[in-house]
Amino acid sequence: MSGNAFLVDTTKCSGCRACQVACKQWNNLPAEKTKFFAGPEYTNPAELSAITFNHVKFFPVDMSNKEKPVWTIMHKKCYHCSIANCERVCPEKAIYKLEGWTVIDQDRCIGCGACVNACVYHVPHVLEEDLSQYGTEQPLRKYKSYKCHACTVNKRAVPACAKVCPMGALSYGPRHSLIKNAQERLEKVKGDFPKASIYGLDEFGGLGVITILKDAPETYGLPVNPKPIDITKIKEIHDTYALLDLFTFRNKMLKKAAYKLSNKMNV
Amino acid sequence: MTNHWIDIKNADVVIVIGCNPAENHPISFKWVQKAMENGGKMVVIDPRVTKSASLANLYAQIRPGTDLAFLGGIINYLLEKDLIQKEYVVEYTNAAYIVNKDFKFNNGLFSGYDAAKRSYDTKTWTYQLNDKGVPKQDKSLKDPQCVYQLMKAHYGRYTLEKVESVTGCPKDTILKVADMIGSTSKADKVATVMYAMGITQHTVGTQNVRALSILQLLLGNMGLAGGGINALRGESNVQGSTDHGLLYHILTGYLPAPNTQKHPTFAKYNETTPKTQDPMSINWWKERPKYLVSMLKAWYGDAAKKENDFCYDYLPKSSKGTPYMVVFEDMLKGIIKGAFYMGTNPIVGGPNANRSVKAMEKLDWLVAVDLWETDSSIFWKRKGVNPKDIKTEVFLLPAASSVEKEGSVSNSGRWAQWRFKAVKAPGQAKADLDIVDMVFREVRDLYKKEGGKFPDPILNATWNYTHPGEHEPDPRLVAKEINGYTTKDKKQMESFMDLKDDGSTASGCWIYCGSYTDENQMERRGLDEGFGKIGMFPEWSWCWPLNRRIIYNRAAVNRKGEPWDPKRPVIKWTGSKWKGDIVDGGPKFGPAQKNPFIMNSEGVGKLFSNGVNDGPFTEHFEPMESPVANGLNTQKVNPASLIMEGVKGNFGSSSQYPYIGTSYRVVEHWQAGAMTRNLPWLAELVPDMFCEISPSLAKTKGIKTGDRVTIYNGRGSVSAYALVTERVQPMKVQGKTVEMVGMIWHFGAGCAVSGDSCNMLTPSIGDANTMIPEFKAFLVNIRKEA
Repeated sequence: MSGNAFLVDTTKCSGCRACQVACKQWNNLPAEKTKFFAGPEYTNPAELSAITFNHVKFFPVDMSNKEKPVWTIMHKKCYHCSIANCERVCPEKAIYKLEGWTVIDQDRCIGCGACVNACVYHVPHVLEEDLSQYGTEQPLRKYKSYKCHACTVNKRAVPACAKVCPMGALSYGPRHSLIKNAQERLEKVKGDFPKASIYGLDEFGGLGVITILKDAPETYGLPVNPKPIDITKIKEIHDTYALLDLFTFRNKMLKKAAYKLSNKMNV
Repeated sequence: MTNHWIDIKNADVVIVIGCNPAENHPISFKWVQKAMENGGKMVVIDPRVTKSASLANLYAQIRPGTDLAFLGGIINYLLEKDLIQKEYVVEYTNAAYIVNKDFKFNNGLFSGYDAAKRSYDTKTWTYQLNDKGVPKQDKSLKDPQCVYQLMKAHYGRYTLEKVESVTGCPKDTILKVADMIGSTSKADKVATVMYAMGITQHTVGTQNVRALSILQLLLGNMGLAGGGINALRGESNVQGSTDHGLLYHILTGYLPAPNTQKHPTFAKYNETTPKTQDPMSINWWKERPKYLVSMLKAWYGDAAKKENDFCYDYLPKSSKGTPYMVVFEDMLKGIIKGAFYMGTNPIVGGPNANRSVKAMEKLDWLVAVDLWETDSSIFWKRKGVNPKDIKTEVFLLPAASSVEKEGSVSNSGRWAQWRFKAVKAPGQAKADLDIVDMVFREVRDLYKKEGGKFPDPILNATWNYTHPGEHEPDPRLVAKEINGYTTKDKKQMESFMDLKDDGSTASGCWIYCGSYTDENQMERRGLDEGFGKIGMFPEWSWCWPLNRRIIYNRAAVNRKGEPWDPKRPVIKWTGSKWKGDIVDGGPKFGPAQKNPFIMNSEGVGKLFSNGVNDGPFTEHFEPMESPVANGLNTQKVNPASLIMEGVKGNFGSSSQYPYIGTSYRVVEHWQAGAMTRNLPWLAELVPDMFCEISPSLAKTKGIKTGDRVTIYNGRGSVSAYALVTERVQPMKVQGKTVEMVGMIWHFGAGCAVSGDSCNMLTPSIGDANTMIPEFKAFLVNIRKEA
């Protein structure tokens, strides 16, 4: 993996959620209807969705040292895996790499949900309704999969989330230099957080989002040593789908059904 | 702020108390983080684990309303361990000054107290003078009647044990905080103080700020880069509005507002001009008559002449102080008939909201100027009332937002930055200036046509803000008048040093003199970091006074003019002139000639002060509503706080309402919420009114996160979602466990997302000096809703 990446530093994040709002603004995404808080502390909504491309999660505070409470707040969006499960499983090649980022071509997307099931980080989501007044280049459409595209669609030089972060908790730049920064930072914060770690250096061939954590990744529900989906298994599904697709007459609903069937036939 | 936002990065220790900058001033935190990256430490003192606390090196939990006990303990520790900057204290504070023999302190009361009036006669809060009229001093600090010795005795009562039992903060933690703060008593180590409403919104708010100032003086941290006392202002231009005399007790540039008792005439007003016999004191306020006359010339133009005292008689003189709460009491009594609400939503933002809304029903008319309908502008159709029963005629004028108009905004660091109009306001929305201009012209026309009781001030007012042939006023013309000009040839003034008291100069607000000279200085965007590389950026915008970035900067150097902290110099004396920031008090005086605190008549920092209503030293009193007795004296609430006649029976006791209520903000919402509760992206993040309670209180009351609860007291009842969190912890106070209910105050009955207003619960009592309401500590009860 080369090129640019994001660095999320949870030792600096204050949870202002400017990233979450800026993303909605620059991608013209609707607000979710929420009530109170959907997750721990101020988390809202609970998770990423087809209309929420980045999201801030508040973990419960750790008061074991009353003079130094630890409250982890973490920015989350698509990790942009080098070897991306979503890209591998997509039967329509609607998911592809653009300048190193994993992006979805909604014109090709049939809404089959393969990417939704394949992503261990629960990032992509299929939109269940037409939202014609929202979106940027194209309106948001029913049965299309959506997620963070690193602001490649709205063509920002620096993605909106990184641009607005006031704390330096979310930065954007050449991946190799961000990794260097992360390693230096890790050394600095080890005094306060002896179990601090860096996530994203090697997972899925290296992630496009590197995260500095105050503890081990599993504390924050991040999968340790995740394995990319087996290509041979996918190939079987894709071969079946290629056959069935001959009878779908480019109808997206039929294509979706064909994919479901191919998936079932190869379990 | 004595310093400014960027300057926070220079601090070795950042003291965060009564504020939550990570949440409410997020951009400031960028500079806190810079300080920490440079090896600085941050300590957060707060009743709950805030976002700021979670990023701190050290957190100390204290009970709401006990800042003075806590800070008193720190002051005592510093004095006891001699963790003070001795040379600075002797030279630049009144520590060595000998106090009047009749000054006394006994059981929470200072000499001169009148219990019937709940106020002090301050005549014993003075110094002993020598035959030249200059305060006597003992620079060895040994004289038992010197300020330093009196302080030692006064604060000696604030022992660690006592402070722990009053505040609920464990002794060990207090010690760690004291050592961290005390580490900056070295001449070249500096702490900054960041504070906001958690310090001020108490019956002892002013004394809370005093205690912080005393700390900073003892540590030698005032005037230095990375030091000072820094009030984090809650709105982008609240600094500007205060500078321009928005508060009831001041005119522009902090000139006292005239009242009938002290200032019936121009001569009497000027008799109150601060005086000094001390040759070391610059006593800047001696210039006050020049600023008053220049202001009157700006306001009344040619009508203001020496013969008529420059129209001083036109100025309204108050017969009583009229802070917010008194205004609403007067409204309730029917004395106030009409109101203009500009950028305010008082039934969400003000205390005792149920009482305020009853007061509003007494109004004949109300004009609300806002972006949207606010909770206050729709008070006549709120739930539970029949609009037919409310006689008030209500007008809602659509206002332009901040990006739809041009003008200056002064930030907390006193930087006045010019802003440009980015987009046209929608529909008929207008800038506030246009609205005020239209109203003024209409009123003036009415006076012209109909006469009236006292038309002169309106008819003679200078009001030339519109270019010939145009219809809308130009904010630049207002800014030019604020800066000031020579009255004869209309040349823009360069500096307030040139203002005169003979009518030859005009200046709307003396502290802004220099902001709009031949060019608009506030428009400057120069990127030179300036002297000392401490982030002063002297060519970026303009700051008052005279573009001085750090005020009291004479205290940044010793008597030889050498910076206390050579790594972060603010100014420096070369032997013949000053280098660096614009030096305080004028460049002609060297460091040994004059004292640095030029706005005090002594010229030094006041550890002992006669400038406040409620005592020369700070003393802990309980909030008006408190669950415990005062552990330091037998007084309950601040003896000098005004208890208004109409609300005497309005306060509750801990037998009915056992929990401490407090209020605060979240980053997602803005003040009373009218601007943010209408924005879907922000409403998504915080859509509902909620409160925060500890797991132990939740268990007692059978409450779980997400339950609906009612929080109530004698003034009102609020329905909210409960968030049960470890960030709120019970406190051990005087052997008793005390619980707290924290609430956000952004919600109200109007707007796209609505909820109950926390301020239905807050009391009508305030600080003894400013009358800022006690929003931060009151009593409530809580129950789970069925």
